[in-house]
Amino acid sequence: MIRILVAVWVLVAMAAAFLAPDAKGFQSPALARIVFFHLPCAFLATGYLFAGSFYAVKFLKGRSAERDETESARKSVAANELGYLFAVLTMVTGILFSYVQWGTWWQWDPRQTSFLMLLLLYSAYFALRSAHGDPDRREVVASAYAVALVLPAVFLIFVFPRLPQIANVSFHPTQTIQQGQFDRNYWTVLLANFFGLLMLSVPLFRLRIRAEALAHRRFGEATGAAARATITRKS
Amino acid sequence: MAISNSNWRAEVGAVFEKEWLVERRARTGWITAGLFGFVAVVAVALAGFGIKLTGSLSAGLLWVVWLFAATVALPRAFVAEEELGTANLLRLSARAHSVYWGKALFNLVQMSAIGLLIAVAYIGLVGAEMRDPALFLISVLGGLAALTGTVTFCSVLVAQAAFRGALVGAIALPMLLPLAALGVSSLRVALGNGFPEAGWQAAVGLVGYATLTFASGPYLFAAVWKS
Repeated sequence: MIRILVAVWVLVAMAAAFLAPDAKGFQSPALARIVFFHLPCAFLATGYLFAGSFYAVKFLKGRSAERDETESARKSVAANELGYLFAVLTMVTGILFSYVQWGTWWQWDPRQTSFLMLLLLYSAYFALRSAHGDPDRREVVASAYAVALVLPAVFLIFVFPRLPQIANVSFHPTQTIQQGQFDRNYWTVLLANFFGLLMLSVPLFRLRIRAEALAHRRFGEATGAAARATITRKS
Repeated sequence: MAISNSNWRAEVGAVFEKEWLVERRARTGWITAGLFGFVAVVAVALAGFGIKLTGSLSAGLLWVVWLFAATVALPRAFVAEEELGTANLLRLSARAHSVYWGKALFNLVQMSAIGLLIAVAYIGLVGAEMRDPALFLISVLGGLAALTGTVTFCSVLVAQAAFRGALVGAIALPMLLPLAALGVSSLRVALGNGFPEAGWQAAVGLVGYATLTFASGPYLFAAVWKS
């Protein structure tokens, strides 16, 4: 029942994104509705990044107290994977927005650049995970990196684009949004899309944790069977 | 068990001394990073064909040289321990925080010396104009400290990984990009571009970034080192 409600919500929110009146203050007002998808994706990418770091802290703290926090490690990975997905979607929709509003696909706008750096950080996180064969070591190392990501991520998302010397050369419509040039309808559709994507991402998050748990169990069974076979052969 | 300050200092000092002696014998870090930095500076000077670079471009290129010199020199501290099989002995001999601070301090001394030499060679060979020496010095030292803190932490993460030589650059450089953005904002003012207020603001940010890196580093390091 909940799944059907979520599906209906998402469909209505997406339809509203195409039917909402044009926004003011844009070069191409009709195409500015990309922000209905772009902005929620950016919020979710940021949210999942911090969620990934939060669960990583929980895992590391639990581990040092010799508690089993495997579930937190799985949640951290799932959150970071979803964060990466939303960061890619933010980047793609941002590039489209850049083309229709500013006439160029890429122009090193500080917001574009900071999200590109965020994507590189995420990519480095997954590169680090893939380089460790031992699952236990992999979780510890990846969790430590996920926590360390917070400092550059906070700087890239909240500080860098707001530095006076950087903000002055930015085309990003942050001011347009903050100065209330979106009317109430626009905000309603924006929030509806945000909650729609959030509700879509939560089952994905849970599914990813279950898949990770299953993979871990299979890995345990496979290594257990290999060990038993070796013992039988030797005896 | 409570650990007295003198014990802690002695452990940090012992790790620092060990690093110093190993480096004095092998000189791998100094030679590789120094040579890399000098060759990169010569390459930049040659590629410029004698053209006078602007402050922004000079600052950007100098930061690129530092970034790569740091990823060449600093990871050796932990990678060598794993390669030589001495990491477990070190785990038994000293507490995690002492190991971190001993190695980080050694890396800081090494990177400051190499970074300053690269900066002097760069200014001499490329002919960058120095407008504000105090800002230059603060942004160089703050930037090199933050570089050291980040790369030292990243090197322990890759010490037991496959393809660690390449991996350390791949995971450290994205973490260093925000730092490079701040560093270039500050250094470009010292080298003649932009407003002094913006340069000093970025330099303060750089020192703050370095402080946060060193403040959080030991805790994360302890979690990884013990595993």
